[in-house]
Amino acid sequence: MSSPVLRRVVRRETHSPRTVAMIVAVVLVILALVYVGTEIVLNLAGQPALLLGPAAAFGWVVGLPTEVPVGVSIAIGAVIAVLGVILVVLAIAPGRLSKHQLVVGESAVVADNGVIASAIAQRVSAESGLPRDQVRVGVGHRSADVTLTPAVGVPVDEAQIRSTVDAELDSYRLASKLRTSVRVERPREQEENA
Amino acid sequence: MNNTNRAVNRTILLILGLVLVVVGGGIIAGAVWPAAADTWTSVGSGAQDWAKQAWDATVIAGTSLTWLALGALAALALLVVLLIVLIVRSIHGRRRTSLRATGAESDLGRITVTEGFASDALKNALAEHDEILSARVTANDIKHQPVLHVSVTPRQNTSPLHVAETVERLIGNLGTLTGQQLTAYISIHTGLRARLAHDQRRLS
Repeated sequence: MSSPVLRRVVRRETHSPRTVAMIVAVVLVILALVYVGTEIVLNLAGQPALLLGPAAAFGWVVGLPTEVPVGVSIAIGAVIAVLGVILVVLAIAPGRLSKHQLVVGESAVVADNGVIASAIAQRVSAESGLPRDQVRVGVGHRSADVTLTPAVGVPVDEAQIRSTVDAELDSYRLASKLRTSVRVERPREQEENA
Repeated sequence: MNNTNRAVNRTILLILGLVLVVVGGGIIAGAVWPAAADTWTSVGSGAQDWAKQAWDATVIAGTSLTWLALGALAALALLVVLLIVLIVRSIHGRRRTSLRATGAESDLGRITVTEGFASDALKNALAEHDEILSARVTANDIKHQPVLHVSVTPRQNTSPLHVAETVERLIGNLGTLTGQQLTAYISIHTGLRARLAHDQRRLS
């Protein structure tokens, strides 16, 4: 998997295209522009304005720092600025999707995190002898979290589980290394009864 | 995988975001900082006066229309059309390329494999694997090179490596058969189908 074409495919498949965000933002801008246009046309035709005529709207904007209460204009400014920050973050953040690249042979391979998680859970269950529904695995961009909820009195060797998970992860040849964390959950009341 | 221009998407988001940050920041500054409020008011009333004069100066004789208003409307309409074109183009980018042929020379002559054949062959081969619930094969044009996209949903608890190797082997076989190795992209998915299907492989 070294050709630039496949690198491009993997890059595009593991990162959000931001198309939805762009379309939502642009549609809102279009609606705002159409509204402004409508007000101008109504004003030219001598009809009453929908909300504010162009001249009145202009005057309101100019008077924003002086004629509108400070609290209100700060609130308006804050809402607009926060929306802007959200858009800037969307534009700059990598937008990684919950997928991982596997390095296998000539092709480019990408697997959903859920696929990796369920395969690890299956392996842990098989190796440790715990029933499959007592093993929960979550896979993120940088880590794999294994949570075990064994029945009362069943011993669990955390170190061994960890090495099982690490071995399984290594065998997938993921392009980015995952950190493993293992947690054993034993319900308190069960412990007390035991 | 599509050919949506992502740089354009992000650039638009960035421009809109920066405009909103500047406007919002300006409003807050005007509310809490008297110097900024003075600047805001003087610039604003200057613009207001200019607009009023321009409005009066450009009145079309005999009507209540002004060139200023018509110009503003034309600019708005142009902007709206541009933005709509942008949206339509980004949706267009989602369209997949249709079948394309790849040729290979051999002793017997020229062999042409359409992506339709490759797709059917792979799908049939994958259907025989019990751990793979569903498979979809499409062909895309990336940088003017056909790339086969094999999208598979395996049963839960199946090793992704095992699935990848199976698909890769089948693609390799197809390449041997047709005399040309296809560039392939394999995506392994989870989903409702995988969650509802039985975990373990059925014994046959």
